[in-house]
Amino acid sequence: MQEVNEIKLETRDSVTIMDIQGDVTAFSEPFLNDAYQNANTQGTGKILLKFDNNAYINSGGIAVLIQVLAQTQKNDQVIGITGISDHFKKIFNMVGITKFAQIYDSLEDALQQMA
Amino acid sequence: MPHPLNNQSIEISLPNQIGYERIAMACSESFAKMLGLSLERIEDLKTIVAEAAINAMQHGNKERPDTRVTVSMTFKDDTIHIAVMDEGDGVKELTPTPDIERIVNELDPPVGFGTFLIRELADQVEFDKTADGVSVVKMAIKL
Repeated sequence: MQEVNEIKLETRDSVTIMDIQGDVTAFSEPFLNDAYQNANTQGTGKILLKFDNNAYINSGGIAVLIQVLAQTQKNDQVIGITGISDHFKKIFNMVGITKFAQIYDSLEDALQQMA
Repeated sequence: MPHPLNNQSIEISLPNQIGYERIAMACSESFAKMLGLSLERIEDLKTIVAEAAINAMQHGNKERPDTRVTVSMTFKDDTIHIAVMDEGDGVKELTPTPDIERIVNELDPPVGFGTFLIRELADQVEFDKTADGVSVVKMAIKL
């Protein structure tokens, strides 16, 4: 039951938005990695991960996200996260993702603060 | 006065394939809504059910397609008791708490988040075996 994530890239106000459609699990790894590499080759210094508000994100997906964060740290990129539900804001805080990425309540808020 | 649904239970048998944990999540959500669990704790319940089922599929049953995972939920004395059983040797209880700083710095592999979330979100967690030798993870969430 493999997931397929469609991830659209868009640049607004010097921020590259990775618009992640669908649930995020271990199966998301190739999609997230490809999208990040595409964003990285554009020379972006700021990346916003935008999730579906209804997305299911399990521990496998969290592991993949953290591996992406590891790459962004190496490349000195600023990372923001938006679109996740209150439950997953809590989860991301618990696992420590918020040490490496700021969570924003809305896309507009993120772009304003990251620009 | 006891809750009108005191001592009610449900049980689900899942194919040993990642993705089927979502059926257990949906069932746990429906059951919890009937019981009056808060929306926040329903989300917590769904997460611990999912993570325990995934652990059972991957680690307990070693991803064998000829095995199954059983998820049962019993409501008793204002507490939802969840048991997730596999057909293998069970899952390791003592997975270290993942250290995200070490993982981001590639000093540790990105593992252990499932068990970590279960421990953080459930009111009680126990790794056990039934009288028949079946491996079971027992969790509890209070109303």
